[in-house]
Amino acid sequence: MGRKLFQFGFGRRHNRKRRHRLDLSGKELFLSDLQAGERVRVIAIGGSEHFRIRLMEMGILVGDIIEVSKYAPLQDPMEIIVKGYHLALRVRDSEKIIVEYLKD
Amino acid sequence: MNDSGKNIAIAGNPNSGKTTIFNALTGARQHVGNWPGVTVERKEGRLSYKQISYNVIDLPGTYSLASYSIEETIARGYLIDEHPDVVINIVDAANLTRNLFLTTQLIELGIPLIIVLNMMDMATEKGLEIDTETLSILLGAPVVKVVGRTGSGVEELKQAIALAVEKGPVSHDVQIPYPRELEAEIVELTNELARLKIARDRLRWRAVKLLERDKTSTEKIKARENTGSLLANIDSAIRRVEDIYKDTSRAIISHARYGFIQGALRECVRETNATPFDYSREIDKVLTNKWLGLPVFAGMLWLMFQLTYTIGAYPMDWIDSGVAGLMSLLDSILPAGMLSSLIIDGAVGGVGAIAVFLPNIFILFFVIALFEDSGYMARVAFIMDRIMHSIGLHGKAFVPMVMGFGCNVPAIMGTRILESRRDRILSILINPFMSCSARFPVYVLVVGAFFPQQAGTVIFSLYALGIFVAIASGKLFSRTILSGMSRPFVMELPPYQMPTVRSLMLHTGERGIIFIKKMGTIILAGSILIWALGYFPREVQLSKDFTVIEIQASDDWQLLSDQIDQRFAESVEIEKELYSSKLVPFEDSRGYQILASQRNSLQMEASAARDSVIADLHFEQMAETMEQKWIGRLGKTIEPVLAPLGFSWRESVALITGFVAKEIVVSTYGVLFGVGSEATEENVGIIENLRKSGMSPLVALAFLVFTLLYTPCLATVAVIKRETGSWGYTAFSVVYSLSLAWLLAFIIYQLGSSLNWLA
Repeated sequence: MGRKLFQFGFGRRHNRKRRHRLDLSGKELFLSDLQAGERVRVIAIGGSEHFRIRLMEMGILVGDIIEVSKYAPLQDPMEIIVKGYHLALRVRDSEKIIVEYLKD
Repeated sequence: MNDSGKNIAIAGNPNSGKTTIFNALTGARQHVGNWPGVTVERKEGRLSYKQISYNVIDLPGTYSLASYSIEETIARGYLIDEHPDVVINIVDAANLTRNLFLTTQLIELGIPLIIVLNMMDMATEKGLEIDTETLSILLGAPVVKVVGRTGSGVEELKQAIALAVEKGPVSHDVQIPYPRELEAEIVELTNELARLKIARDRLRWRAVKLLERDKTSTEKIKARENTGSLLANIDSAIRRVEDIYKDTSRAIISHARYGFIQGALRECVRETNATPFDYSREIDKVLTNKWLGLPVFAGMLWLMFQLTYTIGAYPMDWIDSGVAGLMSLLDSILPAGMLSSLIIDGAVGGVGAIAVFLPNIFILFFVIALFEDSGYMARVAFIMDRIMHSIGLHGKAFVPMVMGFGCNVPAIMGTRILESRRDRILSILINPFMSCSARFPVYVLVVGAFFPQQAGTVIFSLYALGIFVAIASGKLFSRTILSGMSRPFVMELPPYQMPTVRSLMLHTGERGIIFIKKMGTIILAGSILIWALGYFPREVQLSKDFTVIEIQASDDWQLLSDQIDQRFAESVEIEKELYSSKLVPFEDSRGYQILASQRNSLQMEASAARDSVIADLHFEQMAETMEQKWIGRLGKTIEPVLAPLGFSWRESVALITGFVAKEIVVSTYGVLFGVGSEATEENVGIIENLRKSGMSPLVALAFLVFTLLYTPCLATVAVIKRETGSWGYTAFSVVYSLSLAWLLAFIIYQLGSSLNWLA
């Protein structure tokens, strides 16, 4: 799974409003697609190894529940809450995190 | 008091309260320096407990011991090479999972470890119950509960340290378990390393690092002879593991570490269902709000400058009058001569000019410490990241840029808030283009002389040009000399905290003292140098004897004045003869009044003419003298270089002296134009003489742009050297800003001349 992920997540232009609807069509949902207040579970992390390790060091793991707290005043970066602490991520980095909505 | 000779290192995540614990252990007995060759602060202090003292080192805060960042490399290098006797691992009890990730690596390193659960109060509030005894067994190290801010548990920590030192090196019997196939490869590699006698200790740590493709470890092996087959074996081992688990080896290993942590925490942490009030989130509803975030930040900055300049103005006045008092006191005690000139004009005057800024700098540092300690700085980074990212910088880099408007020296020191070396160097290189307050008097003087009608617009444009050049240079550097070193931006927004007075004082004080020490010496040397350049050689060959000419002018005036009086007396005589009225005394008559006022106006004209002749003589004499002093010769020497910009030797001299501190440009003009060095920006004399000197408005504009862009001052150069730790970058900064200043001034002058603009 890990290697396959290297192939996407790069160069996609960020377009939250449009992407937001796409999860219904069975395509992947990215963290960058979410709006403030939404809660999701991480199902895969792509991007460079450096990036993935960095996220791991900061405590973001596959299976973790993420709440999008807000976007910065200029729409980038975004603030998320993982395990009770707050992290800031740039939107182009959060495009590499695949998530799913919680099933309840 | 006995020195145990033992080294205690403090390791932990950023925001885990490392510094608070360090301060609690060592008190005020700290020494702040830099790690060799790098710009990361190195803090050492002494802990004394039961009559024994220990050396305590605060390692940079890191999330891991991979060598991605300079901080990680330093922390890791220290732990491996310097063999500390005990490592205290500060762990944020409220965020155990992430904080213990570093702990797993420390366990593998096999150094005697004490785990400190800091911020226990926050953990309790979060509803976490931690069984420290079980945790201690699972991690194979003593666990101490501490609340750093209140100091509770610090005594127990000291006791644990003394005990750990006494017991000496202990081997951890705890091992991080890895998945079966990976574990087999680790054991295999450990045995191979032992067989090849590559290392005697930390074999498991080394094996894991090699399997992680860790650069530093692999290079160490590569550097040795006959390790080709070993490297090949490692490579195929990594490939085998990656094929089985379908992920990179480093990710597999990191996952295993988290697996170990999660397993341990399941056994010793109980979560009661308390949902604590997330006050930070409530505060952030305002401070990082979509609409309010930016205005509130702008308000904070405004307040920072307001504080700096309004409160700073009082001590500034005291220092200013203190320096002036000292100068006149010295003047009265010291016999006139070279020594007194050296001390008064060179040393005291030069250093005093900079000492005046000390209160500002301290207040600035204090506010920055307040931002940092409260947790607001991380929010600044969050708000500003979008803008700063466009020039390849981290959001936090905005703060030192704004500080640059005050003074580049503390601003460049302020880049310490940035974590990566690349970001620091980039922000240091662009900071001098932020127009500091020392440049302002120069603008006021020159703009006042040449653009009095559009003063506001011209000065504003200069500030804007500075920002533009900073941003453009930032973009240029991040795409050329400093490219490719940027790190992914994943930043913690720590909970807001009430800063303690003690840590604020420590932060402010230690940076302020560095400023005083370093800047004092360099400014002193620079001031003396400029003084000497203007003082020697003592004997100058003047084209004429100015004293004689001055006496001559004075005599001429006396003669003229006498003539006027004589003519007046004669006229009065004649008038008096003709005067017949007995009712009004002659002295009150209209005729006499007219004559008297004629005489007075003639006398005034004569003395004004004399004054202007003498002033011109002084000006000429001063200019001729200055031309022949070393400073003038230097100005003459570089004049050809600056001639294409339309600058005469006077501008050259002013720019050279401005190198010590920009505001000196004003007083240099004062000296050059013979109106004395007491010249202030309101000084009409310099403005008059500036116009007289034959400078055109176009040259003035080129001069202003040059002043804005060229190397700010000696103190800035010194601080660039200090903070980058590199003569290379320092030289680059000087050369770059000089060339840019020259180029832009050249374009303005040449383009303007050919268009006959502002001639």
